[in-house]
Amino acid sequence: MLDHPFDPRRHRLRKRRAAAGPGFRDACFLQIRAAEDLLERLEAIHRPFARVFSLGGGLRLRKAFAGAAFALHADMMERGSDLALDPERLPIARQAFDLIVAPLALGWVNDLPGALVQLRLSLRPDGLFLATLFGPETLRELRVVLLEAEAEGTGGAALRVAPFPDLREAAGLLQRAGFALPAADREVTTVRYRDPWRLLQDLRAMGETAAFCGPVRPLRRQVVMRALQLYQERYAFPDGRVPATFELITLTGWAPHESQQKPLAPGSAKARLADALGVPEQSTGETAKPKA
Amino acid sequence: MTDQSTTDLDPRLLEVLVCPHARTPLRYDRAKQELVSAAARLAYPIRDGVPVLIVEEARELGPEE
Repeated sequence: MLDHPFDPRRHRLRKRRAAAGPGFRDACFLQIRAAEDLLERLEAIHRPFARVFSLGGGLRLRKAFAGAAFALHADMMERGSDLALDPERLPIARQAFDLIVAPLALGWVNDLPGALVQLRLSLRPDGLFLATLFGPETLRELRVVLLEAEAEGTGGAALRVAPFPDLREAAGLLQRAGFALPAADREVTTVRYRDPWRLLQDLRAMGETAAFCGPVRPLRRQVVMRALQLYQERYAFPDGRVPATFELITLTGWAPHESQQKPLAPGSAKARLADALGVPEQSTGETAKPKA
Repeated sequence: MTDQSTTDLDPRLLEVLVCPHARTPLRYDRAKQELVSAAARLAYPIRDGVPVLIVEEARELGPEE
């Protein structure tokens, strides 16, 4: 079951409903922050990108790329975008873009490696892919108290918060998807909420409540109340506010191109290490070839 | 409802889009406001000028189409 834990249709419906709601813009502060961060990284790259594909980048990226020769803004829903799509079945022709930016847009994808391959194929050679994903520290407080409250009440607990790839997995995914010069880094940030209810409200307003497959047992109100009580008891600051942890993992990868730096083949060195270090070479006592 | 007769699809957009199911080019049906995939026998809706290229949202083409 864990091969395909998410129900994309369920997530899309939620996202669509959330986007139509009043609190959506405010609740999307993490998305906006991720978008700002990706834009900063782009500035440091000093290269113009003429054809830009923004996946879930929202208004912030629409403004940022208003000057691009061609910019396509896609999302899971029609609202505010030029194209509605499912990231697992990318409707984009090969080598159509030279920059793809995806801030927190790939969270509810079942087949992340597959989605990354499709994104890579949509890039021209030497095109850049920049994305933000939630990391495993995300909502760790909520995860703990929900599991505990549910186990107390029913003697069993279901997965309520999405599993996220960690930094090493994320970098490995990029490499497996065929990106050159893959890199991943992480930032852990704590958001302070007035109380745990506010956090849940925000997640709902963002459309980021869990969208798992199949007949998920709904959380009973009693369990939610108990979880929020535990949240407050265990994590509250002296002023009564509560923290919510979010881990943002940023992925960078390039579509392969011959101009990019590559490691040399083993044994192709043209200078001796000892010369470079200015020391006499010493044998380690081993011989490369068996003596005749 | 918006007046759909006035909306027209950006040709540059059509150039970069493919059918998400068959990965083949799409034909723009201006009258019906759909993007048609002959290979997958599916028609994807264009809602308020925004193509919805999601397989679950597509209409299956009839035998005459």
